[in-house]
Amino acid sequence: MFNNKSDYVLNLNFGDILAKTLLILLFLLFTACSSKPQKQIIISTNQWIGYTPLFYAYETGELDALNIKIVTSVSLAEAGDLYSIGKADMVTTTQHEFNVLKKTTHDIKAVILIDRSNGGDMILSNRTLRALKKSKKIDAYLEVDSINQEILLDFLKKNAISKDKINFINKDQRQIQDVKNDPDKAILIATYTPYEIPLKQKNFKEIASTKDINSIIVIDALCARDTLVEHERQRLIQLKKVIDKAIEIIEKNPEASYKIISKYFSHVSYKEYRHSLSLIKWINKPSEELLEYIQQYGYKKDDIIL
Amino acid sequence: MNSISIKSFILSIIFVAFLLEGYIFYNFFENSKNTISKLLQTSIQADVLNLKHFMEKNLKQKDINFIASHVDNIIIINPTIEDIHILDNSQNIIYHANIRYEGHNHTSQRCMPISKIINTNIFTQECYSFSIKTFHGLQTKYYYANVYIDKAYTHGLITQQIRKILIAFLVSAFIFILFLWILSKIYLITPLEKLRQYAYYSHNPPKNFFVKEIESIRYSLNMTFKRLQQEQEELYNLSTKDPLSGLYNRLSLIEKINWLIAKSKRDKSEFAIIFLDLDNFKNINDSKGHEFGDKILLHISKVLLKTTRENDIVARLGGDEFVVILPDFTDENTIIEIAQRLKETLATPFEIEDEEYQITASMGIAIYPKDGRDVQTLLKNADIAMYKSKELGKNNFQFFTNAINKAVQEKIAMQQLIKNALQENHFKLYYQPKVDIQTKKIVGCEALIRLIDPVKGVIPPYKFIGIAEENKMIIPLGEWIIQEAVSQIKKWAKTPLKDIKVSINLSAIQFQDPELLQKIQKYTQDIERKKLDIELTESVLIKHFKERLNVIKGIKKLGISLSLDDFGTGYSSLSYLKDIPFDTLKIDKSFIDNIYTKDDLTFINMIVGIADDLHLNVVAEGVETKEQLKLLQEIHCKEYQGYLCSKPVPPKKFEELFSLHCV
Repeated sequence: MFNNKSDYVLNLNFGDILAKTLLILLFLLFTACSSKPQKQIIISTNQWIGYTPLFYAYETGELDALNIKIVTSVSLAEAGDLYSIGKADMVTTTQHEFNVLKKTTHDIKAVILIDRSNGGDMILSNRTLRALKKSKKIDAYLEVDSINQEILLDFLKKNAISKDKINFINKDQRQIQDVKNDPDKAILIATYTPYEIPLKQKNFKEIASTKDINSIIVIDALCARDTLVEHERQRLIQLKKVIDKAIEIIEKNPEASYKIISKYFSHVSYKEYRHSLSLIKWINKPSEELLEYIQQYGYKKDDIIL
Repeated sequence: MNSISIKSFILSIIFVAFLLEGYIFYNFFENSKNTISKLLQTSIQADVLNLKHFMEKNLKQKDINFIASHVDNIIIINPTIEDIHILDNSQNIIYHANIRYEGHNHTSQRCMPISKIINTNIFTQECYSFSIKTFHGLQTKYYYANVYIDKAYTHGLITQQIRKILIAFLVSAFIFILFLWILSKIYLITPLEKLRQYAYYSHNPPKNFFVKEIESIRYSLNMTFKRLQQEQEELYNLSTKDPLSGLYNRLSLIEKINWLIAKSKRDKSEFAIIFLDLDNFKNINDSKGHEFGDKILLHISKVLLKTTRENDIVARLGGDEFVVILPDFTDENTIIEIAQRLKETLATPFEIEDEEYQITASMGIAIYPKDGRDVQTLLKNADIAMYKSKELGKNNFQFFTNAINKAVQEKIAMQQLIKNALQENHFKLYYQPKVDIQTKKIVGCEALIRLIDPVKGVIPPYKFIGIAEENKMIIPLGEWIIQEAVSQIKKWAKTPLKDIKVSINLSAIQFQDPELLQKIQKYTQDIERKKLDIELTESVLIKHFKERLNVIKGIKKLGISLSLDDFGTGYSSLSYLKDIPFDTLKIDKSFIDNIYTKDDLTFINMIVGIADDLHLNVVAEGVETKEQLKLLQEIHCKEYQGYLCSKPVPPKKFEELFSLHCV
């Protein structure tokens, strides 16, 4: 019988309650921690045919599964800028941009080799080589301080065209695409596929390309910050597998892959897409010799995910 | 297992909820801080990117002043950025946005490359740097920019956020705790407290509760209490009510009378008790069985309830005894009115099992405090009054008086005296001679009972015979008389008194004993039965004549002679003489007393004539004078009995008398 209000009690063990409460709290904390979303990785890239596997994987949702997002720019430099200001965690580069970024940010590693240009980078002109040599003044459009520049200078040097008569005009590829073919001016354009397609339609002719240039091998790689390589190694390995798979599909069924990634290359027909693909070589599974070779460009073979 | 109060339990829950809420708000704050830092990061990055592109395009062609306004605008628009320094390749400041911070020097601060900007360092890092690349033909020229963060602004954002979240946390926690406490109080604590009180006091059941489980408990408790109450009532009824009639039983009656006594003492008021006993109910019970008797009792109970007033209390004491208490009455007329109504209503004929019956009751009335100040006295006095009512002819009511009380007390004392006398042998038989008028010899005697109390002395028969008949003690007493008379006959058998015939009296009540004949046979088996005479009064023959006639004939058949006592008085019928084989007629003393009158002498002469014709002996009783004897002799009466010869005397004295001739 209850004698007073204080006698009215629940038969519960206070210690048990507290212990259970703490367990619940720990469980909540644990679930809160474990449910914390994986940090998103942003890849800054540009519309180069060699990066089609990335576009394909992104469009098919393979990258979403790894919480990886792609941001495309109109030039290699702009892609590098996004990386350099910290907006992107990974960036696609040639060896040239890789070294520029290494010099300015000191925080970059090439982790996945994607392709090498096999005619994909080229020199266009509205003059023949002979005419160019005779020209007193030539307007040269290029992305200064990019692989364009290396290719153009290599071309000038090999063909004994003096740099003094060249008017170097720094433009990104979107701007270069709009260069008018002025018959009164001798024009040189350093570009890469598929930006050469509209230029060729303006009667610019290919006078040199990486297919012919043996002195420069343009290596396109996917680079990442040191911290990312250190902390997200497994995710990068998964990314490499996704890229490998995409390349395999692109090679086996280019038409299907075209339908998926065509929006990245507006005004590029399937035929032109196939042609562009023929101008690169996939190096996602590089040979030992290649790995040794690219070390001269600053890539470290131990950083490369095979 | 330890127990805690529900309040402590809820307070613990609140405490845990408080911790949880704190944790949630901390996370919210962290997320919020993260969001802010990301926004700040994005904002800085956007401005840096914009500035970088702007400077890379414009720095080579224009002088520094051209870009200065752009830099200043960024600082003005973006409150996160406090200052921007433009440095040349040799790290010399070529532009310093000192619009708001003139004289401010940031040179001592180290800057982190903008590429390393992350949301976690946005609030700690004071400066970010980035490179600016300009082209002169193919010549690359690098500039650098340091972006200084307005820490006061960024910290202000966080402080503001902390304040907002803290206020939100405290307010929401307060509201939540208050809400939880109110809800707990309304829906848990208060209902449980009400349930506790209900469980403890078992009255004032709470109304329906909102919480299903508590409501279930309330409902169960309610059902349990109802069942308990029902069982309690049943038990109460069992203990306080008479199971047959549903009226209050003796116990409750006593309780109620006690309560009324207490109330009346306070109010100085009175109340009356009517003690009611059904007349001749035993006969109904004996003849119709108890089951039928119960139906009668049930009917009587209903009649009593119907006839009495709402405040009156009706109880059954047991058997056919009822008590009605009248708590409110103005004067004795009210009591008389109610008693009269009870009498009339009870006497109204009623039907049970298609047969019509009528039953009456005798009532005795006692009034508090006049007739008693306690339950026992009141009930006893009402009973005494009822007894008197019965004595006075039944179907009536009688108020208790002191005279009644005295008579009844005496009667009760006498009853006790008879009982004791039987046990302690205080009864004695005295013998009055019967004398042959012609020979003057004693030929017989009538054995007459005497009670000789050691304290009160000789008590005459008229004082106790009636009482012994009322309470039927006359049956054992009658048996004792037979045995004693037989014993005396046996004693006299070898004496000169061997031919003396001894008469004894049989009471009408003794005929109620179904074994009377067998007992007489048994007790008289050792004597010559012709020496024993049994005197019967006419009253014996009034009721149940047929049955009693068989017994009387049986006695006669045993060889015992029979005398008709007190002949000529009461309801004498000559047909008795025809039906019953009497041997002797005893002329009542009243005739002998008036023998000098012509009428009575004629009457006695006629009786003697009838006896003579019927060959019966005649004994005149109460003969006290020689004149009376002479007249009796003249009309040829055979024997007499009376003081002329002797009063009733003990056996010794009688033996002495025998040797003498009377008169």
